[in-house]
Amino acid sequence: MTATAAPPPRTARRVGPAVRRVPTAVWGGVLSVVLLLSIVVTVTFGPADIRPAEVWGSVLGHVGLDPTLFGGEVLSPLRDGIVWELRMPRVLTAAAVGAGLALAGTVMQAITRNPLADPYLLGLSSGASLGAVAVILLGLGVLLPVAAFAGAIAALLATLLLAGASGTLTPTRTVLAGLAVSSFFGALTSLVIFWSATGDTYREILSWLLGSLSGARWPAVAIALGALLIVGLPLMLTGRTLDAFAFGDQAASALGVGVDSTRWLLLTATALLTGGMVAVSGSIGFVGLILPHAVRLVAGPRNRIVLPLSALAGAIFLIWIDTGARTLFDPRELPVGILTAVVGAPVFALLLFRARRIS
Amino acid sequence: MTSLSRFRSLRSVALLGTAAAVFAATGCAASPTTAPSPDAADPASSYPLTVENCGTEVTFDKAPEKVLTVKSTSTEMLLALGLGDRIIGQAFPDGPVPASLGGDDVPVISDKVPGQEAVLDLEPDLVYAGWESAFAADAAGDRATLGDLGVNTYVSPAACKEAGRPDTLAFDDVFDQITEMGAIFDVSAAAATLVDEQRAELETISPVDGLSALWYSSGSDTPYVGAGSGAPQMIMDAVGLTNIAAGVDDSWTPFNWEAVVDANPDVIVLVVSDWGTAEKKIGVLESNPATAKLDAVVNERYVTVPFAATEGGVRNVEAATTLADQLEALGL
Repeated sequence: MTATAAPPPRTARRVGPAVRRVPTAVWGGVLSVVLLLSIVVTVTFGPADIRPAEVWGSVLGHVGLDPTLFGGEVLSPLRDGIVWELRMPRVLTAAAVGAGLALAGTVMQAITRNPLADPYLLGLSSGASLGAVAVILLGLGVLLPVAAFAGAIAALLATLLLAGASGTLTPTRTVLAGLAVSSFFGALTSLVIFWSATGDTYREILSWLLGSLSGARWPAVAIALGALLIVGLPLMLTGRTLDAFAFGDQAASALGVGVDSTRWLLLTATALLTGGMVAVSGSIGFVGLILPHAVRLVAGPRNRIVLPLSALAGAIFLIWIDTGARTLFDPRELPVGILTAVVGAPVFALLLFRARRIS
Repeated sequence: MTSLSRFRSLRSVALLGTAAAVFAATGCAASPTTAPSPDAADPASSYPLTVENCGTEVTFDKAPEKVLTVKSTSTEMLLALGLGDRIIGQAFPDGPVPASLGGDDVPVISDKVPGQEAVLDLEPDLVYAGWESAFAADAAGDRATLGDLGVNTYVSPAACKEAGRPDTLAFDDVFDQITEMGAIFDVSAAAATLVDEQRAELETISPVDGLSALWYSSGSDTPYVGAGSGAPQMIMDAVGLTNIAAGVDDSWTPFNWEAVVDANPDVIVLVVSDWGTAEKKIGVLESNPATAKLDAVVNERYVTVPFAATEGGVRNVEAATTLADQLEALGL
């Protein structure tokens, strides 16, 4: 994911469209630094008026260092809780979810060879949402990650079985089946909410459906980061396989990729990753769809480059967007899913415009 | 009919300005043609009686006889005025009606907001709702459509979203609504008595001093709290609590735990209902490591108020007095 993991810049110049080419290693390095800086800076933002030196001091204290290193005073337990129990886990969860969704989107776009593919298109998010909403309304909140995993896998199986029922698993059939499954699970979710939400509980579910990181505490960090490390990291190394898929199923077979088994494996991994992310953040749209494209516009189409850069860009993107969600209308909160689209679409349009002008 | 209802809505928009002027002039939502005075012995209402309600003009040719109430505040208002026999059914109740108001025999038509056809099937002459959103086309029907079909509509003015919304809800607004209901149903004397009783009860409260509070209505990840201009603020003002979310100009608002922890309120008001018990809310506060350290949580300084009493209506005074009693019991 850092400079060392990227291929040498020589290759980068030889392949890819005629956009301005910056060596991949540089991009990886720059994005890694920006990610670290983003975490350090955004954790100082919030409705509570705590000075940056005190915030960093609190963080240092919790990782076993001297809390007065930056000259800040030691915070009261309550204000320390704001930094370490509310802000820090939320920023880290945003980073993990952003990275996970961008990765999932990149993989799905590659294996379905559909630029519109993302966890939503194949119904994974709908399935995860249904599982999550069902356990929340049953009062079994502790099962939420499991239910989201299960929902995503169920939706994936439904999609693949439907797509494979009439013969080979073609990309077009997969996408169409995904749409059908997505609509079906979406309708079931709405039905569950419509019938079971009592009093004002619908508000909670609504903000959850729009995507929100406001409930992100350390357990959420563990779930999202865990999913990212266990499932996302191996996915990040599948770039060569995905590049083979880009040339079509036959070409991929010729290159020695077991097309069907690999597709199943990668899709299952994506489902697990999506389930982990939806479990902690709800359905945050846009990140999985747009960020891989944004990265391709500046770094070219090769997946072994796009994968790690998308993960980094997704993490940075969601950290800042969520910081906006929790501070823009302070002390009110905005569901982060609204902001990802409102901010992401114009940014993407700008990138698109720029890339066109350059080529 | 579509063009007619469109015409009606246009007319309602045109009337908004007039409505605002009337509100400003009279300070209450009563009809321009009748001015009920508490001194009058039993002023009979004269029909047709026209009131401005959340920017919609509603004309009553006679006192309504078949009323469908939506949400608890409307049911409780009519019961408190002794009009239980006019209610043909209630929908979307927030909980059981308190025994003191009676009304055990009011049938519950629907647990949620009923659809338009279900409403019309009951042939009410008035649908009286506690939330403006009940009159959406995909809910009980929009007000113009129902009006065209001869069904009057009325929204508790405290719940008006745009036109007719009091800048800051005060007990006088609640009392004005009682008076207006008295005029609509031709029971002005009963309304005047009720207002007098409530005023007297309100005056018995001795407010606390210098205590801040969070009005925790619902939510766990994002707390939904009483903000600065609705019934929660009005009740907190009456008992002397300083609302930590007073800066948000709304009745309720999605809030932020960080802001709650930063404010570290002295007391937490828990809004309780069948679906959101005090235990559940305390559980949320204690399981979140940041809020678990709040003074009010550590010292269990909680006071509770029933959900239905926290929306503008006849139970607000009762909510204030029970809160005052609980605060006294906390001994702060």
